[in-house]
Amino acid sequence: MAEEALELEARLIERVVERREAILKEAEEEAERILREAEEEARRIREEAEREILNLLSSDLKALRDRIIGAGELEGRRLLMEAREKAVSTVFQEVERRMREIAEGRDESVDYDAVLSHLILEGVEAIGGGDIIIQANERDLERIRRMLKEVRREAERRVEEVNLKLDGKPIEAMGGVILRSVDGSKIYYNTLEGRLARVRRRLEGRVAEVLGVI
Amino acid sequence: MERVVSIGGRLQRLLEEAEEEARRCIEEARGRAEALLEEARREAEERLERAKRGVGVDDILKREEEEAKKEAERKIREYRRRVREVEKRAKENFEEAVSLVLKEVLPLG
Repeated sequence: MAEEALELEARLIERVVERREAILKEAEEEAERILREAEEEARRIREEAEREILNLLSSDLKALRDRIIGAGELEGRRLLMEAREKAVSTVFQEVERRMREIAEGRDESVDYDAVLSHLILEGVEAIGGGDIIIQANERDLERIRRMLKEVRREAERRVEEVNLKLDGKPIEAMGGVILRSVDGSKIYYNTLEGRLARVRRRLEGRVAEVLGVI
Repeated sequence: MERVVSIGGRLQRLLEEAEEEARRCIEEARGRAEALLEEARREAEERLERAKRGVGVDDILKREEEEAKKEAERKIREYRRRVREVEKRAKENFEEAVSLVLKEVLPLG
């Protein structure tokens, strides 16, 4: 009998202890849930405030962003534009170098006498005849002297009356000629530098196209 | 039997104490939660008020500035890539362009 009572007592104690632990565990879980939800709500409140602040600052932020990104865009465009300009300039620099070689007779693939003859005749036609004085650098004057007879003949074939004379005083030029009427009323600049400058003004866009940089 | 009844009374108290402790635990959590929310609301309101006066927004402006700088750098990198392409194409087509200009400059019929 006593043994049964002891057993009953032990079971009762065990059940109560289990129940007690369950009550405390449930309470702890509930407390944790309450705190978790509060933290979540607090985060939401802070985020909402941040959103409101961002909204409040939106125009300032946009201005700041536009200023910085705009500067980057501008810098990038500048780099690209410089690269294009450099590519085009390099072509004209190379042309000038080769023209100098041609004018100095260092490029045998080009008949520079023929070039000079063309330059003179082009000027004669532009001025339209009459007494015309030819100016050139020292080297080209020498060349022109040698071929003047032939050039005169071709000039007379193209315009009715023409009388070509050489100005013995050399000009500063890479090559080519300046032609002027005796009274100075008409001048035709046909130096190589002049032609290159004119071609450059006219052809820069086309050169950029050929290079594939636009 | 009397002993069992006596123990039963003590165990009942034990359960009541546990329930009381559980209530305290939950109440305490509610109190802390309320304090947490109160603090968050107060901070948010204060921050908003300061922002309206242009105070305490340096971090936001700084963050935006950093992001914008990254975007600007990305744009410049993209332009540098295009510059390299331009240089490559210009090199490939260089002779063709030189010939074109030479033909125009030199009157060779």
